[in-house]
Amino acid sequence: MSNPCFRPHRPSIKTVAYRILAYLILGLGGFLMLYPLIFIVMSSFFSAAEYNAAQIGFFPIPNAPTWSNIKALFFVGTDKNMIYYYRNSILRTLYGTLNAVLTSLLAGYVFSRLRFRGREGLFLFFLSTTMFPTVFSIMPTYLMLYRFPFAGGNMVFTGGHGIYDSALVYVILNGPVINIMGTFLVKQTLQSMPESLEEAARIDGANRATVIFRIVMPMIRAVLGYIAIINAIGLWNDWQVPFFFTRSTKLQTVASALSRMTRYMSTEGLIPNYPGMMTLSLMLVVPSAIIFFIFQKNIVQGLMSAGIKG
Amino acid sequence: MGSRRNPMCKHRSVSRRRDAIVAAVILTPMILWWVVVSGIPLVFGFGLGFFEWKVVTNPPTFVGLENFITFFTDASYLRDLWRTIWIGLSSTGITVICGLLVSLLLNSRIKGKGVFRTIWYLPAVTSTVAITQVIAILLVPGQGINGWLLSIGKEQIVLETSFSQSVAAILLFSLWRGVGPNAILWLAGLQSIDPVLYEAAAIDGADRLRQFFHITLPGLKPMATYVIIQGIIASLQIYEPVAFITHGGPNHETRVLTLRILEDAYTNFNFGMAGASGLVLALLIFGGSLGYYFASTRRGKEESV
Repeated sequence: MSNPCFRPHRPSIKTVAYRILAYLILGLGGFLMLYPLIFIVMSSFFSAAEYNAAQIGFFPIPNAPTWSNIKALFFVGTDKNMIYYYRNSILRTLYGTLNAVLTSLLAGYVFSRLRFRGREGLFLFFLSTTMFPTVFSIMPTYLMLYRFPFAGGNMVFTGGHGIYDSALVYVILNGPVINIMGTFLVKQTLQSMPESLEEAARIDGANRATVIFRIVMPMIRAVLGYIAIINAIGLWNDWQVPFFFTRSTKLQTVASALSRMTRYMSTEGLIPNYPGMMTLSLMLVVPSAIIFFIFQKNIVQGLMSAGIKG
Repeated sequence: MGSRRNPMCKHRSVSRRRDAIVAAVILTPMILWWVVVSGIPLVFGFGLGFFEWKVVTNPPTFVGLENFITFFTDASYLRDLWRTIWIGLSSTGITVICGLLVSLLLNSRIKGKGVFRTIWYLPAVTSTVAITQVIAILLVPGQGINGWLLSIGKEQIVLETSFSQSVAAILLFSLWRGVGPNAILWLAGLQSIDPVLYEAAAIDGADRLRQFFHITLPGLKPMATYVIIQGIIASLQIYEPVAFITHGGPNHETRVLTLRILEDAYTNFNFGMAGASGLVLALLIFGGSLGYYFASTRRGKEESV
């Protein structure tokens, strides 16, 4: 602006004060948001001996930081289960996320681009099934898995233990199920986009699969990315499925291992091995934090547009 | 598409039928999978409320509405229900208001908005289990927060003996976790308000406060509906913070419905009541969603007038 009449106006005291207040609140609040994670990182480096001896304040800075806790999880002891925990967490997260994105893309396409009788009704039906709280289905799901026919020693519906406590639990529960949230987002996004590109492709002879994967999918990359991240983080942090539906140590995920340790501690009434738990928490929290920081722009934008559509 | 303009054209029904076939081909595997994973347990859980089933080995017996009558006449269930509702409402209220305030700050002319947004949203992606351990450590008698309280001559915080402290812990944790996403949703709402309105108001001489009440707040109404209802629905299902911080509170005093359901199912083996409570909770959520549906469609009618 080279208008000679333009004078840069000095911000008033009120504006400056308001800005300072903003920085203060956002900064202090931001610190509080990060505090538990900082705490987890710092206390993971305490040796058990120093932990019990010292007085833990708000900032547990170890005098003799040690890697022994982390090493113990991976290398020491009869059970090097940490590897299994990580393997299970990673595999389950990848599998579940892939399925979620795939089904959201396909179902979202079906519900927005294909016209058939009962389309809206069907969608509303699935939407209404999300009304039921997850705790509601834990017990019935457990029974269903336990009595799964022709598996794990079952004749039809009775006998053994079905697929309880087997890898099949993850395969089935995190398989290509209809993902309502994802389908909704894809549907809303597609509904606001013109069909011209797809029509042109179909006129040129492309079949549906090509249209969906070569044309539609790149168009809605951002939404699919958002769906992927949200599902991935949710799966990574999920401890309930392994906790309620499996028993063997080798099938646990990092999250459920931590929850079992917690549960065990409180029921046994032992003095918990806090540094050990903090280290396990660290293992759990760090990967999701890293993924979050890498994709945070996508997450924030996705959340904002989801809110507007909702 | 020409067929859309001419309703007499046969193309429409043919393409409709083709669409239906493609839809069926794509959806059927997913729907079948859904039926196994969610559908059957849902139906089963739904029906569970109408049976009495106390032990795994004894077969369930049909008792109709008896479980529901028990639910609404038994004082402990009613207390759990009431608790769930008011903890849900308070937690939503606090989180939503703080979220709005934070979003106003985030929307102002400051530097580093992206950084702040990221930091404030981070708690929402952390694992509740991990964070509650931090809380437990900080409240170990003599350590962390309690150590500091002792050193300044105050009493320690012992969740196991204080109901108010337990509730505060739950509310604070929910606030910590929920402010970020809430603030970001509000931010989306703020940014959808046409800046022209503010300029016009400033020209007409309205100060910031008046602008806030006459432009910002009304402009946020749609987002407010979403945020509030979505918050209520989520907080009615609160489970992990209660389970891991207070374990149901001093003497079951912070036991919310979700905890009660799991307790009935896994500790008391009273599957019938667990099913019935689950159904009641589901109806509450359904009521909340209906409320949102009506609120948002009514708003739509207002705008078209």
